[in-house]
Amino acid sequence: MGPFIKTLFGDARNVAVVAAVVVLEFVLIRSGFGREAMLLVPVATMAGVVWLAPR
Amino acid sequence: MVDWSIAVPSFLTALVEWVEAFTIVLAVSLSIGWRGAIGAALAGLATLAVLTAVSGGLLATGIDIGLVQFVIGVFLLLFGVRWLAKAIARYAGLKPLHDEAAEFAETRAKLSGDWAAGWTVAFKGVLLEGLEVWLVVVALGTRSPGGAGLASSIGAALAALLLTCLVGAAVRAPLERVPENTIKFVVGAMIVSFGTFWTMEGIGGEAVWPYSDWTLLILGAFYLLAGLAAGTVLRNQVQRRVA
Repeated sequence: MGPFIKTLFGDARNVAVVAAVVVLEFVLIRSGFGREAMLLVPVATMAGVVWLAPR
Repeated sequence: MVDWSIAVPSFLTALVEWVEAFTIVLAVSLSIGWRGAIGAALAGLATLAVLTAVSGGLLATGIDIGLVQFVIGVFLLLFGVRWLAKAIARYAGLKPLHDEAAEFAETRAKLSGDWAAGWTVAFKGVLLEGLEVWLVVVALGTRSPGGAGLASSIGAALAALLLTCLVGAAVRAPLERVPENTIKFVVGAMIVSFGTFWTMEGIGGEAVWPYSDWTLLILGAFYLLAGLAAGTVLRNQVQRRVA
């Protein structure tokens, strides 16, 4: 079961990065900052990817 | 008609995963023979086919497309972020490049003639590598209505499987020459782009992206270039630390 879960979701750090990105998307879009989200979300996602890379 | 915006990422993702699965099956075949290894691989593929049929059928029943986009987008982010991070780490020299030859030798050494263990390793190998193919096939396949997207996605994944089997059968050795990290870099950037696009569209509707589908190209270019830049910076840091 472990390998199956890891294949679908990745490890805890991976899940944390994606959860943070999704929360950011949700907050920005639902607060009426959709245009800002277009720029901020890809940058935040990339920051998460770079944080994950050496770990 | 083939939808190339779906077929290309599906093909590339599937190619990477099938090569890994083929390497495992090949190693197992040397311990338990081709018949057992192929039987296990076919059982893994049959399980994946059932998963694809069931999930594709469920998605075609007309549930809220915004919710579907959001859920699939989250899965694509989970998958793509991991791939892109690994590709950057390998590019920077922080992790060794994926070595099919080493995986081949390791799998073969582990088995040493145990038929049941060999069969299970081949089955699990095909199933787990194929699960990633399934995720992308279903996720990208639901992008266009009417089943054309799913057909393009499944067709591309099957074409990648056929290509892997043909090349694998021809060389009958680990497929070391496939530049896996390059493909992983490109596919990781594409998958993260789809994930960003869909999660945001799922939350805010189509109006979120004023350039509609063209945004995918912009996002893809951004993630690819930013990934390369990050990989280069990390590589320079590693080299400085070594020197």
